[in-house]
Amino acid sequence: MHDRLILRYLRRHWRWGVRGVIAVWLLNALVPASPRALLGPPQTVETQHPLVCVHTRLVEEVDEWKIQRSLQLVREMGADTIVEFFPWAYVEHTKDEYDWSNVDRIIRHARNQGIHIIARMGLVPSWARSDTDDEFSTLNTLHERSYDDFAEFVADFAARYAGVIDHIIIWNEPNLAFEWGYRQVDPEGYVRLLQAVYAPAHAANPNVVILAAPLAPTLEPPGSPAGLNDVLYLQAVYEAGGAEYFDALAMHTYGFTEPPNAPAGENALNFRRAELLREVMERYGDGDTPVFITETGWNDNPRWTKAVTPSERILYTIDAFRLAEAEWDWLDKLCLWVFRYPVSTYNYPDNFTLVTPDFQLKPIYYAVQAYARGFPTSETLWLPPPVEPSSSQ
Amino acid sequence: MAASPSRTVFVAISLALTVWLWGLGGTLFLLRWHSVERPIPIRDLFPYGEMRVGVDASYPPFAVATATDIFGLDIDLARALGQELDIPVRFVNLGFDGLYDALRTDQVDVLISALLVDPARRGAVIYSPPYYNAGLVLVTDANSIIENMRDLPGHRLALEFGSQAQTEAERWLRRIHAFDILPYELPEYALDAARLGEADAALTDRITASFYLQQHPNWDARLTQVTNVPFAIATRADRPDRAAAINHALETLIAEGILAEIIARYL
Repeated sequence: MHDRLILRYLRRHWRWGVRGVIAVWLLNALVPASPRALLGPPQTVETQHPLVCVHTRLVEEVDEWKIQRSLQLVREMGADTIVEFFPWAYVEHTKDEYDWSNVDRIIRHARNQGIHIIARMGLVPSWARSDTDDEFSTLNTLHERSYDDFAEFVADFAARYAGVIDHIIIWNEPNLAFEWGYRQVDPEGYVRLLQAVYAPAHAANPNVVILAAPLAPTLEPPGSPAGLNDVLYLQAVYEAGGAEYFDALAMHTYGFTEPPNAPAGENALNFRRAELLREVMERYGDGDTPVFITETGWNDNPRWTKAVTPSERILYTIDAFRLAEAEWDWLDKLCLWVFRYPVSTYNYPDNFTLVTPDFQLKPIYYAVQAYARGFPTSETLWLPPPVEPSSSQ
Repeated sequence: MAASPSRTVFVAISLALTVWLWGLGGTLFLLRWHSVERPIPIRDLFPYGEMRVGVDASYPPFAVATATDIFGLDIDLARALGQELDIPVRFVNLGFDGLYDALRTDQVDVLISALLVDPARRGAVIYSPPYYNAGLVLVTDANSIIENMRDLPGHRLALEFGSQAQTEAERWLRRIHAFDILPYELPEYALDAARLGEADAALTDRITASFYLQQHPNWDARLTQVTNVPFAIATRADRPDRAAAINHALETLIAEGILAEIIARYL
């Protein structure tokens, strides 16, 4: 009886059902399709200043078209090299199970745009850590018993991308407790990490260039729970025999509130602090080892105490490139931190970017582009200050 | 003499009703008892006997550290919250990069550091209601015909070159008819331009505008919010009781005008 009623209802109203399906199909067709990220013809980077390089943040990007768009903009800006972070925890989430898909798509688009990649390694998967009462850990905690696991990952990476990515940075800013898993920093321990990685990586790719980690510019004294002065840390790395286990040195140097030509000094954190690190290299007979500055720049947040104004940021950045080209013949690349974040950080780090998350190009992007590609620039970028009526009389 | 059957039934029903009513009353009482929120002892909320506040003290006027002192709007807010919760406050000065990690790893109980509400962190963090909106504001003469960004076409907008205001203005230029952008080296010059009539309006963040108006009290200006940049307090998502206590204390500070007093002290 009940079934018969349903059948009768369907017979009477089936047309409405068909109309409903068509309406849903039409509405669905109105939804804009996601932009596709098809590879176009291979591109080359046009630049007059090959020192120009930029640090990207592509690995957290969900949409492939945003990776492609970012790299197109990097190419159009005139940077032929990017530094990109490839977290171990993202690739080898489970031991011996690798998911290279995210790395592959970044590399695919970078190659298509004619851009070289310097890869930064770090971030420990949970299986390589432990959270016990005695052993507290964070994503940056790499215990010595896991050094070989990390070395195996780096070697696998080096082998898979041999000839495509030949520059690999081992860790980031190990002179900060935060980057060392909130443990007391340990230059000798870091040298043992380099040692564990160096031979397997070279066996996997004989042309690989292992870069020792860039150190955070800081004045923290020995014993500080927060970290250790970068110059002292680098000395300790050399004292521990670290020079044998890297082919190039990565550096971080930030201008903070000073212009790029402000002189270096033991107690000064500024752009030329890189020269102090270079002096350490030369003192230990390592002057022939190439240097890559993988993070530099100025921040133009209105209130951060280590920031400058947007106009100063542009002037200082371009002057920094000029200074490095003229005076630092030991430098291979000067990479700006940071091209773009996938999403806002909702704080002052957003003011290090050249491009907003929604791909608005900031004036500094155009300034770097004009410098790198030799475009003519306007003499005046802003208007003179308004004059008070009383003072003009 | 035996009781009549009707009387027995009456007594039985009365007894049953009495028991039922007592049972109902008891059940309702228990339900109500358990539904009432009772304050959790403060020692349970802050097991270290103090409220450890994570702050990046490099962000005036919200938090600044000197060799011997730490001060600012966030610092005063934290102290006021501590007073409201009757718990001592200890500040842990951290870099911005380490703030959320310090919260996650229980090195601090709460973050009060001009933190913007970050939707991506909502799984791990509970944010309080905003205590300050630092977004961009349109600054005009109080009697200007420009009341919001839509009124700008045909007019001149002053802003700081290369700033967030310029990015926002260029966004609006794609939505509405053309207006002139007058870029200046500093946001204060942009505000000067609006005050002196060189421009019809200026676009700056609220903090800059507030500082400027303190220095130019004779300018009768109107501020219209253009973007929202809400600052909030962050606590761990797995400590909702602590978040609730912080929120309750913050609501009290707002209701009693204490938050407004603190903001007025700096902005």
